[in-house]
Amino acid sequence: MINYQQFVLDNGLQVLVHEDHSSKMAVLNILYKVGSRNEIPGKTGLAHYFEHLMFGSSKNVPVFDSALERVGGSCNAFTNTDITNYYITLPAVNIETAFWLESDRMLQLNLSEKTIETQRKVVIEEFKQRYLNQPYGDVFHHIRNLAFDTHPYQWPTIGREIEDIVNYKREDVEEFYFTHYRPDNAVMVVAGDVTLDQIKQLAEKWFGDIPSGKIPKKPIPQEMPQRAKKILTVEADVPTDALYKVFHMPGKLHEGYLQADLITDILGFGRSSILEQHLVKNGDVFASVGAYIFGTVDPGLMVFSGKMEKGQKTDLAEKALNEVLEEFIHSTISENTLNKVKNQAEAMKTYESIQLLNRAMSLAYYAHLGNADYYQTEYEKKTRIPSDSILDWSKELLKEENASVVYYKSISK
Amino acid sequence: MKLLDRSLPPGFKIPEHITFPTPHKRTLRNGVPLFFIHTPEINAIRLEINADTPAVLGKEEKKLAPYFTLHMLLEGTINRSAAELDDFFDTYASEVEIISTFEHQGLSLLTTKKHFSKVLPVFRELMTEAVFPEKELAKRKSQKSLSLSILHKKSSNRASQLFRKELFGAFHPFGQISEEKDVDAIQRDDLLNFYSNDLWANPEIFLTGNVTEAELDLISEYLGNLPTIKSHVKLSQFTNTKHQRLVEDRQKSVQSSLRIGCHLISKNHPDYFALWIFNVFLGGYFGSRLIKNIREDKGHTYGIYSSIGSLKASDYWIIMADVIKEHTEEVIEEIYKEIHKLQYEKIPLDELETVRNYLVGNLLSNFSSSFELISRFKTIHQAGLDFDFFDNQLAFIKTFTPEKIQEIGIKYLQREQMVEVIVG
Repeated sequence: MINYQQFVLDNGLQVLVHEDHSSKMAVLNILYKVGSRNEIPGKTGLAHYFEHLMFGSSKNVPVFDSALERVGGSCNAFTNTDITNYYITLPAVNIETAFWLESDRMLQLNLSEKTIETQRKVVIEEFKQRYLNQPYGDVFHHIRNLAFDTHPYQWPTIGREIEDIVNYKREDVEEFYFTHYRPDNAVMVVAGDVTLDQIKQLAEKWFGDIPSGKIPKKPIPQEMPQRAKKILTVEADVPTDALYKVFHMPGKLHEGYLQADLITDILGFGRSSILEQHLVKNGDVFASVGAYIFGTVDPGLMVFSGKMEKGQKTDLAEKALNEVLEEFIHSTISENTLNKVKNQAEAMKTYESIQLLNRAMSLAYYAHLGNADYYQTEYEKKTRIPSDSILDWSKELLKEENASVVYYKSISK
Repeated sequence: MKLLDRSLPPGFKIPEHITFPTPHKRTLRNGVPLFFIHTPEINAIRLEINADTPAVLGKEEKKLAPYFTLHMLLEGTINRSAAELDDFFDTYASEVEIISTFEHQGLSLLTTKKHFSKVLPVFRELMTEAVFPEKELAKRKSQKSLSLSILHKKSSNRASQLFRKELFGAFHPFGQISEEKDVDAIQRDDLLNFYSNDLWANPEIFLTGNVTEAELDLISEYLGNLPTIKSHVKLSQFTNTKHQRLVEDRQKSVQSSLRIGCHLISKNHPDYFALWIFNVFLGGYFGSRLIKNIREDKGHTYGIYSSIGSLKASDYWIIMADVIKEHTEEVIEEIYKEIHKLQYEKIPLDELETVRNYLVGNLLSNFSSSFELISRFKTIHQAGLDFDFFDNQLAFIKTFTPEKIQEIGIKYLQREQMVEVIVG
């Protein structure tokens, strides 16, 4: 449990306050309900690029970072397919500075030519550094593109290709800002050595006069159920072959999501997981293996991936993986296994909540889904799911016609 | 609605004092010191045992013996098979991690308070009862070979390796680059040797979490009988010299990975804090000169930072960036220009204030999470210092003069003594 109180301003800004007086620090976390799923083809990567622009100047703040550093604070942000999340950590006595900074850039970001062009270059370098100049770095570009036909999850948050980043126009950027960076599209969490009354007064003062959004969000094209298995072979100069097999799965808060989460926990979490024990420790095809879910709001993917031992081929690897999945579907899940997964879920919550910032982010994330209490209730639901429900869903999801496979093959150039 | 006047920033205060809590100390019956900080609000426990054992020791061709020894500890003990160990730790949601730095090897355990008493005895088994089975070793070796070849493909990783090699020397343990032949050279006997003769040299325990007498008693019981080795580690002294630029050309690479740096001084040297602050101005925080110039003005990189690497005898300095290939030379020149500017041109007052305040806030933040206090202490303690290091650091942040910072920057950071590496 994370204690919190909440209120909503007239302009729609949702505010949560998590008091923790054991710390002298405070966190101000603002989540905007926008990610790469709100982009369109040809302009992919815009949400992430826009995050960079938010650190340029706003009407009264020439340089965001310096203004914050001057009061002893630091900040960062991340963008994913569903959200863009900004966070500031600073001495709690200076919390008002965080309100000043965040409200000024929500109300009146400058979007200067210099910032637009420099950050375009910076993001292109980020694209190269993280996705092109790394062995296997582009694999999720391929997987997403293969698995999704219509949903914007078909490109990664960085963008489909550098060309898209090159082509953003000022109008794209401005429209994006006025559509998504509005108080009624945001959740603010203030945590640490602060009080509810203080935050109510500050929120009203700094955010109360920011107008709500006027431009409606475009609907997000949803994916139709997949009917047949999809396969892609990629060749690259990498040391060994790799296999990625993904299955479509329900979105967060939907029936089947937590079961999919449990399926990948049991199959792929930790050294004792079924995949690790069968394929890595007691097999000679896989050097490593993993299983996890994307954890997206809209229907996403369950991912099974592994690197092959040198000289081993992906088709053999897929066969070995299929055998383990097949066996799992027709197995029974022991009480011990369920217990283990429950213990892990519980411990994970304990470990995660050590940091004030993590608590603030979790509250913001679940509030954006509809209710901050989901942080607790989703966890309770997950630990109560019986084994037949997990197995039923594994039969439903782990089907060949629901799968997309990327064979990432090593060729020396 | 009438808009608020936002042109005036809110007032702010810089905290005057920061409390740096000192850990409690006990000595186990085998002489092993135990340092702990009690954090009753967090129902987790983290225990770390660190030995004074370097990551590479003894014969050069057996440089991976410590690596494999540590990574094989979970592959079976006299009482439990690898699969049983895996299942045990996962069942109790406990994370066993390997600690391996240039100068220390060890293990850490993160677990929940409620499972601590069950988990500790099995964790203890890893320290002396591992059996190093051949089958698991073979798998580990093939995994390591593969990961080395993947790392080799990463330009940024390759650049860091070459930097270490050039800075510390190809024959010094810190300069070693592991290769596949080093994996092949490892045999089970090498691990057994290292395990019984070298691993647990002068170990120390660092503990935090919701620890009460009950947990402390358990630790005394289980870790108080760990046989330890007394070793006297001779610390290497390094001096800066002239270096040839190292370039590894990679045609297909779309960026250049750049590393520039040199040896510094030890943490207890009177010039240390000034040098540390010089680094902050230059490339040690997001508002730094290097970020402002190379990223925020020119857009030549996604990130450029300078940082101080921590070693017992003397620290070292490194600038890292992955940059647009065609601008590599320009970036290198700009780096030296920024160093020179910071050394010789007057530092603007507002930048001075920003850095001072940022550093106080950062220090406060570093000490605000009780669970992490013990690792702050560990870093300082292992350098042979005490918590008054942080009191002194805070005092220095509040009072330093720009002239002092510049004088020290000039004294220690000289272009002709820099190691330069470019991969890409």
